[in-house]
Amino acid sequence: MKALKYLAAIGALGALLAGPALAEYPERPVTLVIPYGPGGATDIGVRALSGPLGKIMPQPLLVVNRTGAGGATGSVSVANADPDGYTMLAARVGSHTVNPAMKATLPYTLDDFVFVGVFEINPVVCAVSESSDIKSIEDLVNKAKENPGTVSFSSSGVGSMLQLAGAMVLNAFGLEDPLDNATHIPLKGGGEAATAVLAGTATFICTNSSALSSFVANGQLRPILVTTPERLDGFDAPTAAELGHPELEQLVGWTGIAGPKGLPEEVSAKWRDWLKQATADKTFVEQMTKRGSVIRLMDPEESQEFINNQYETFKKLVDELDMRIEG
Amino acid sequence: MSFLDSLSLGFGLVAHWQSLAALFCGIVVGVFAGAIPGISATMAVALTLPFTFALPPIYGILLLLGVYKGGIFGGSIPAILIKTPGTPASSATVLDGYPMAEQGKAGKALGMALYASCTADLISNLALILFAGWLASFALSFGPPEFFTLILFSLTIIAGVSGASLLKGLISACLGLLLATVGLDLVYGTERFVFGDPNLMGGLNFIAVLIGLFAIPEIISFIWNPDDSHDKVRSLGQHHVTFAEYKRSFKTIVRGSLIGVFLGSIPGIGAAPSAFLSYSEARRNSPRKANFGKGEIEGVAAAEAGNNGVAGATLIPLLALGVPGDVITAIIIGAFMIHGLQPGPMMFMTNADIIYALFIGLMVSSVLLLLVGSVAIRLFRFIADIPRSLLFPSVLVLCVFGVYAVNNSVFDVVVMFLMGWLGYFMLRVRMPAAPFLIAFILGPLLEDNFRQAMLMSGGNFEILFRGPITWFFWTVSVISIVALVRNELRERRSRFAEEPA
Repeated sequence: MKALKYLAAIGALGALLAGPALAEYPERPVTLVIPYGPGGATDIGVRALSGPLGKIMPQPLLVVNRTGAGGATGSVSVANADPDGYTMLAARVGSHTVNPAMKATLPYTLDDFVFVGVFEINPVVCAVSESSDIKSIEDLVNKAKENPGTVSFSSSGVGSMLQLAGAMVLNAFGLEDPLDNATHIPLKGGGEAATAVLAGTATFICTNSSALSSFVANGQLRPILVTTPERLDGFDAPTAAELGHPELEQLVGWTGIAGPKGLPEEVSAKWRDWLKQATADKTFVEQMTKRGSVIRLMDPEESQEFINNQYETFKKLVDELDMRIEG
Repeated sequence: MSFLDSLSLGFGLVAHWQSLAALFCGIVVGVFAGAIPGISATMAVALTLPFTFALPPIYGILLLLGVYKGGIFGGSIPAILIKTPGTPASSATVLDGYPMAEQGKAGKALGMALYASCTADLISNLALILFAGWLASFALSFGPPEFFTLILFSLTIIAGVSGASLLKGLISACLGLLLATVGLDLVYGTERFVFGDPNLMGGLNFIAVLIGLFAIPEIISFIWNPDDSHDKVRSLGQHHVTFAEYKRSFKTIVRGSLIGVFLGSIPGIGAAPSAFLSYSEARRNSPRKANFGKGEIEGVAAAEAGNNGVAGATLIPLLALGVPGDVITAIIIGAFMIHGLQPGPMMFMTNADIIYALFIGLMVSSVLLLLVGSVAIRLFRFIADIPRSLLFPSVLVLCVFGVYAVNNSVFDVVVMFLMGWLGYFMLRVRMPAAPFLIAFILGPLLEDNFRQAMLMSGGNFEILFRGPITWFFWTVSVISIVALVRNELRERRSRFAEEPA
């Protein structure tokens, strides 16, 4: 009896010590790693989110950039961190679906991460130069079919969404072997990629609508396709579904928050609440919408499913077109 | 709306104390951030961006531009005083600025850096206002083949900063090219010299290499041979720039500014190559050629004019085409968009008042930079008076923090120290560090543009000779190489003549 009492006391003491520690994540500042450089689309979006997020979180949020290798350097540092919720990652379409689908030697896989929420969606638009004689996606594909090698598309680098998007769109609209019949020109960064189309270095580009909106508004680039289910404001172009290819709706950019594999359920639940409150912030939504993003929060399960679907689609395409990077 | 209407509307927008305050705050923040090694002008602008959300567009954009301009000048302060360039753009300033500080002319070097910066800034702003449309269409005709030939020509700078021995300069450049290949291949995405380490996948961090190569070797030599005897010379840093010196360097400053304007208006080059090109052109044209690299005030003027000449000109593609020339202008485009403005040709019609307000603000910024800069110099100059036994440990701490802060990575700190030992070795064998750096910056650009051009043409070399721009750069490259070889031969002959065999 005495022993039992003793045990109970220890148990109570233990609960007293351990209880708050578990219940009250976070006890210290949380680091959020952005795997891309300052000033990029991911950086600006996440820093805008960190404004309202920082006010809601009981502990400070440290936003740090860890740049390199198309998001791989920052991502792998979070994949290898302790899954205690104190090191989180701002994951992006490039680092988490395109790169894993394309790169055989990537030092992490999608399974190394647990997503707590996708909060931003970027519609994808394909555009050509206003001075070009290409008026529609049909013209583009016909040109590539008739004169193989004359059509090229620019991207922000190997393993970027832009590269995959260009190949995917050409493939969907019936160009066989898009990698042989069209040329992919990798550049350094999204700004250079858009400029390349403007300057005539490349024929077309498929990228986030936000990167193209001012060129389209200024009459320098002509949009020929949007991948959203509905038509997009400011872009006078048909949707993929209107042209009979609803499968291209998988082609969207996104930003989400992820932690390393094994992230406790409590941490995930906390983040879900924080993100819910932060993404409801009026100024945040207004800023992001003006930049051309769609703010839509998905809960952890939905995020995971959305990302896995996109990954599978991309992987199938990569296998089909033999785009895998082995070395 | 006529030009005068727009101008008066613009004046109405900008003639408030708030816009002056925004510019002033921006320049102050920029100068101090630029002066801290590891906080580049880019990072300072990115960190300021959230503060502009709540401001009216014109104040917000002026704030960002202030940070940008201040940051580029601020980088020259530690470059001159402690041989640690605060931003990559000021690495050319080290070449003559630090020797000047060693000779006790820190005040003079800083003053010249400021005057050259402000003059170049003014010229750059004028170019933006007067020739934006023309320069923008010129910039747009720069595709990968044109870039390739431009960079090929720029590589001849290596000879200009090699110092006494061209051979040692070339070896140094080869080392730089070699280390620049680490990372992912541009076209195939395959790994090069990565050895399975994710840290190496992104290549070697530029800031870590820069600080490692310049600042650390000084510290290592001091540890090797600790003595404060130089201090008597160093502490005499109270000289000012005379008007005669400014006048003598004026031609160099204008030349540097124009180089900055041209390179700045072409998207994707940045301020560092411009500073080096301006420096090497100044050296080539100067009667005091031999003094370059040993504390020549004209060298400081050239480098600073070259990098600040870029600042106004990067706005040319931004405003005239809506194209961001570098990361900083990409951030500024973001600031425009948050306020519902879309930079580009249409903006001259829809929001001409804002454009003119910006122009007026920019002109004011050159004057404000002069004021803020003079105060900053007065504050920072005392660094030159600190004994080395106190200064160098603090510099070391600053370097470690600065390099860590760029990417929050301990690996970069390790890279900095390894580069430091390489730099020390190079210092001992009298191998110049500047060619290494130029090759490290330009090598990857040369390779990328060559391969992009080859992709465009399907492997046909003829594309490298398309249009007058490529022919122009091929011609000047050949001329400078011929001139180089001839000079080298002549010097060798005169040396033989002096030494009886």
